[in-house]
Amino acid sequence: MPENQVNPINPYDRARDAGRSATGKPEEAALLARVIKGDQDAMVAIYDRYAPMIYSVALRVLKDPGEAEDIVQEILVQVWQNPASFVSERGSFGAWLVVVARNRSIDRLRRRKPSESVDEVVLPATTNLANEAERSIMLEKVRQVLVGLPTEQQKSLELAFFEGLTHTEIAAKTGDPLGTVKTRIRMALTSLRKAMQS
Amino acid sequence: MNGAQHIPEEDLALYAMQALSPEETRAVQAHLDVCPACRQAVSEALGDLALVGASVELQPLPQGARERFMQRIGADSNLATSSDRSTRPAHSEATVTAMPRRSLFGTIGWLAAAAALFFAAWLANQDHNLRQQLNAQRWQVTQLAAKADRAQDLMDALTSRSAQRVTLTEGKQTAKPAGHATYLPSRGALIFTATNMRPLPSNKTYELWLIPANGTGPVPAGLFRPDATGSASVVLPALPQGVPAKAFGITIENAVGSTTPTLPIILSGS
Ligand SMILES: [Zn+2]
Repeated sequence: MPENQVNPINPYDRARDAGRSATGKPEEAALLARVIKGDQDAMVAIYDRYAPMIYSVALRVLKDPGEAEDIVQEILVQVWQNPASFVSERGSFGAWLVVVARNRSIDRLRRRKPSESVDEVVLPATTNLANEAERSIMLEKVRQVLVGLPTEQQKSLELAFFEGLTHTEIAAKTGDPLGTVKTRIRMALTSLRKAMQS
Repeated sequence: MNGAQHIPEEDLALYAMQALSPEETRAVQAHLDVCPACRQAVSEALGDLALVGASVELQPLPQGARERFMQRIGADSNLATSSDRSTRPAHSEATVTAMPRRSLFGTIGWLAAAAALFFAAWLANQDHNLRQQLNAQRWQVTQLAAKADRAQDLMDALTSRSAQRVTLTEGKQTAKPAGHATYLPSRGALIFTATNMRPLPSNKTYELWLIPANGTGPVPAGLFRPDATGSASVVLPALPQGVPAKAFGITIENAVGSTTPTLPIILSGS
């Protein structure tokens, strides 16, 4: 099979994939407005924009192309069936999709029922993954920050975010004290936020 | 860090990742219900996490995923539109299935027509991608150039006399599943279409194999899962060039695919 379908072992060991699936005009809000009217072409446009990102996040977590595709279908069919609920104060639609893709994948990984709170995810309006040029620059910066983190911080964030381990499970796995694990994750996210704001 | 009554930032980040225990989650939730400041902090943590998630390397969707999605929304929105979907290029797979098997030109004519339709959809996708990626960086331009080369390979595979054309059937039965392979060894260019394939559990995939004429081991030639109508295609999988085929075969593998076929071979042809 093609190598590029194999899930990368180290998510941070890469630099070439800036740019990626395009977003940009027409704005996602306009597309969602058309989806509300039942416009299939608009829904397909949303699919073309976001399916690769949703799929890649799901595949990163689940390591199973079939299951990752299920996640894409599940989320975007939900958008198709109930688009009005997405035109709210959620912040960026793209960022919402990323978080929900991750959460649904972790739920599936852990054989949990879909998170009840998942649809209530509210993101700050500043997390805007919609503009192509900004997005590509921003994500490259994100990767640089993540790569630059101390290894223990990277590892803790990785285990929590992509493998869905609880802080207790991470502590058991790494042999570190619980408080240390918590601090590492918080510091990783703080470093990321500071870098993105600077 | 917030005051003592607020939830520590550590725990809010973990809450945002659903990485707290059920009891801790409930405690945080109870506080969030009454504390806009902590809700805002969770929202910001989610913004950070969206960036972490979006930083994954993009992977190509499985073959036919877009068509499967379109069928889902076509069926869900309006049954009447599904009869009209042959006008949409992305529904070409469904159109192919409906085509008569024995056209004027027999199987090869059918295959060429099918492949031409795939090609049209594929080109439409490329065009779409091109428009999407105008602002993208140099490596992407290189990738697109490579895709253009593959388009030429596809044309050659469809038209060249030296292309090998194989029809695959299931054992001795006159059963329905069937695959059609068109292969141009000198370019390593393969187009494969299948019909009436049986559905698979989500943890399994069909894998196509090229069995080389020189007796070396089977070469993986792509993964595919049938759509709702049982149709599937593998267009230009990554294959070495200059490997004439003795046969093609299909096995069922775990969803990530395999480097060696798992018996039995459920379809084969030579
Ligand atoms: Zn609070």
